[in-house]
Amino acid sequence: MQNNMEKVRNIGISAHIDSGKTTLTERILFYTKRIHTIHDVKGKDGVGATMDSMELEKERGITIASAATFCEWSGHEINIIDTPGHVDFTIEVERSLRVLDGAILVLCSVGGVQSQSITVDQQMKRYKVPCLAFINKCDRSGANPERVVSQLRSKLGHNAVALQMPIGLEGSFTGVIDLVSMKAFYFDGENGEKVRIEEAPADLLSEARLKREELIDMASLFSDELTEAVLAEEAITEDMIFDAIRKGTLERKITPVLLGSAYKNKGVQPLLDAVNRLLPCPSDVENTALDRDNNGLPVVLVSDTEKPIVALAFKLEDGQYGQLTYIRVYQGVLAKGSTIVNARTGKKVKVGRLVRMHADQMEEIEAIPAGYIGALFGIECASGDTFLSPEINVTMTAMFVPKPVISLAIAPKDNDSEIKMAKALNRFTKEDPTFRSFVDGETSETIIEGMGELHLEVYVERMRREYSAEVTTGNPRVAYRETITQRAEFNYTHKKQTGGAGQFGRVAGYVEPISDADADAEADADFIFENKIRGGSIPTQFIPACEKGFKQCLAKGPKLEFPVTGIKVVINDGAFHAVDSSDMAFQAAARGAFREGYMKAKPVIQEPIMKVVVETPTEFQGAVMGLLNQRRGIILGAQDEGAMTVVEAQAPLAEMFGFSTVLRSCTQGKAQFTMEFDHYKVVPQSIAEKIAEEAAFRKKGSA
Amino acid sequence: MLNKKLITLNSFKVMGYESDDIIPEGGLGAVSAHAGVGKTAFMVQLAINAMLRGKKVLHVSLHDPVNKVNLWYRELFSNIAGQAGKGNINETWEAILPNRFIMTFKVEGFNLPKLKERLTDLIVQNIFSPEVIIIDGIKFDESERDTIINLKAMAKKHDQRLWFTVHAHHHEDSAAHEMPVALLPFADLFDVVFQLHPEGGEIYIKPLKGKISDSQRLFLDPATMLIKGN
Repeated sequence: MQNNMEKVRNIGISAHIDSGKTTLTERILFYTKRIHTIHDVKGKDGVGATMDSMELEKERGITIASAATFCEWSGHEINIIDTPGHVDFTIEVERSLRVLDGAILVLCSVGGVQSQSITVDQQMKRYKVPCLAFINKCDRSGANPERVVSQLRSKLGHNAVALQMPIGLEGSFTGVIDLVSMKAFYFDGENGEKVRIEEAPADLLSEARLKREELIDMASLFSDELTEAVLAEEAITEDMIFDAIRKGTLERKITPVLLGSAYKNKGVQPLLDAVNRLLPCPSDVENTALDRDNNGLPVVLVSDTEKPIVALAFKLEDGQYGQLTYIRVYQGVLAKGSTIVNARTGKKVKVGRLVRMHADQMEEIEAIPAGYIGALFGIECASGDTFLSPEINVTMTAMFVPKPVISLAIAPKDNDSEIKMAKALNRFTKEDPTFRSFVDGETSETIIEGMGELHLEVYVERMRREYSAEVTTGNPRVAYRETITQRAEFNYTHKKQTGGAGQFGRVAGYVEPISDADADAEADADFIFENKIRGGSIPTQFIPACEKGFKQCLAKGPKLEFPVTGIKVVINDGAFHAVDSSDMAFQAAARGAFREGYMKAKPVIQEPIMKVVVETPTEFQGAVMGLLNQRRGIILGAQDEGAMTVVEAQAPLAEMFGFSTVLRSCTQGKAQFTMEFDHYKVVPQSIAEKIAEEAAFRKKGSA
Repeated sequence: MLNKKLITLNSFKVMGYESDDIIPEGGLGAVSAHAGVGKTAFMVQLAINAMLRGKKVLHVSLHDPVNKVNLWYRELFSNIAGQAGKGNINETWEAILPNRFIMTFKVEGFNLPKLKERLTDLIVQNIFSPEVIIIDGIKFDESERDTIINLKAMAKKHDQRLWFTVHAHHHEDSAAHEMPVALLPFADLFDVVFQLHPEGGEIYIKPLKGKISDSQRLFLDPATMLIKGN
């Protein structure tokens, strides 16, 4: 392993389904000599149906979809990181985008910018990932790379600039002209492995010169040197142009566009050259961690091997070699035998085997320095965990994990699936802290919980695909909760004297909603217990028992058996008996007191309200607002951005089931939305009645 | 409860007007100031006051994205509520939130037909039917006179009250109690015009048109941006 960070590239390849991501990845691995044969992506029937990439990989027995694949190209080390196929906002997507420094956005020269490209692009934007665009399939009939470049500008708002122009198109696509060097590139040999560089064809020269001028014009915005050279009409070197484009690319102010046809083995090598020349190296990108000794303030990590270790486990994989933990080191050197601390658990671990994945094989390595990606064997952790040197205390991820807002019952179809399902759940819950699973004590059903309908769907789908666990799912259930709205007193005596030792305890005080001020003062504001007893009417040793008794009531509220939150219990009086009082007796008294006070305190049901952001072509914005309005949504605003409008709203989760389907059908599939939990809010009376009915019905059903 | 307290605290009656609405239905009001003095803060307080009284407010911003406008509301609301003391602020906020709709445009993308189209969308689908409309960031030059006349007609037709912010430029400073230069060609269309005028450490809210009573001078507190009497 070299240790020259400037020559490291951590990149992702993101693409619309069917734009040729699998083929491109495979060609890259072939030209970088990681695999030795090229297979046909077309189905065996020869009709041209594209096979599903997952099946394809299985058939070939290569793991091009492994979390991070390493290859080398002209002295640069490139890690290709798998970007998840689904576009829903989940912690997993966030993590894989975090470890990327740059990306290749693959577009189809026929299909152009499609709605999924828009989604993928937005993720890049959100995480500020600099990217190159590669217009693939230039050999297809109907190929029109120029149209795609203009779509990149109009639909995605990229300042796209072509670095190449095609030599011929569709059936006659033979190569590309590099607009920087003004040379023509042809790809010879059985698999296009021999790059032949010649003078650009004379008939295309004048067009190429015009395009080159356009390119230099745009690049000069990022380089004074280049501008001066242009103004003084001096010779413009290739380096000047590349340096300027690189600067613009890193700032995400320019998107260089390359062309080719991965399937016909054309244009892949120049793309790799562009990755080396134009995409950032780890030290070009600012990464931050949160300082846990300093109230979680962000600290900038320096890609310096001398500094203490900070590394992020971004993906766990159950591969053919056992459990692998993929890790990116941001600071310091993670060496074999060194001791690291898991920031989440505080546990110390010794680094055992370190490896690097190469398509279908792996290489043992001694250390992973800052900026590099590798994998650890035999480390017990969850994905998203931060590993540190013992002397520092930071974390790459916020410690706050939101509580799930939706649940779903799942059941395996057969015995075999049951085992696989358990395996899958074990893995997923480790990977994603917002995804939980448990067995309901009353119904014996396995329940999965998460942050939204899509979130759960993704995991159910992954269970099927990755673990071949066939499961059936119930209807999604919203995580309602209960709280009180006013203060109410209680004074409850628990007394039992029917043979044997008696039980006695009296607890008096009041319950009240937690106010904003209380909530600010307490970190965990779901339940506050305050003891205001003076003069020992309840002896100190029984106070914890009282608190425990109250806490026991929180899991299932007396109103509709939803969890109780936002409640403050104050006890200020009570009574005990020298012989008959015990912990048990006071726990029972507290439970009774809670029920008594709670029902008087006007309990209400609360439901999760989601923040919904819909991005839609402007012509559909009225329809989208109508849809949200029908769903009890409050529309906060509409932002006109020219061709697109962003509608922001708050809507109850319970009303958002199936929204994606409805949204698609009323906007011709052109709108997309993100949804995340925002806050809890009291359910309107009419809805509360409906929920009560449903709860009663379910109870009857399970009894 | 908190709601009522907040209305009293955030009252515009002190300005000498009979109601907090200041302008009549179908009327036009404007607040003029240099950049950064507090036009938006003033408008947002006007809006919060209306929202608390159950009036539907449409806030059209030509500069800021929805999030930023929303932040203004949150900030000023919690400042007003902070004055009122204890009470469940979040609950009150959630209760009045449905009374507000933010619409943002890029300045160059804004025109009257577009606004009307959007409004019709909202009204016809019964999503939102504004009673007060705030337009923050429109450029006042003579070519826009038709737009303003049309907006006034629209306000009349739907019984809406329309408020505008007017950006006054330093080089156009006019004498005291005089209309800002930018507003001169339109002055006849407006019922009420205020000017925010920095005076020492305070920002004086100077009435230029409408009821001009100097008995109660009003200021914007530069720390909280809240309106207060002297």
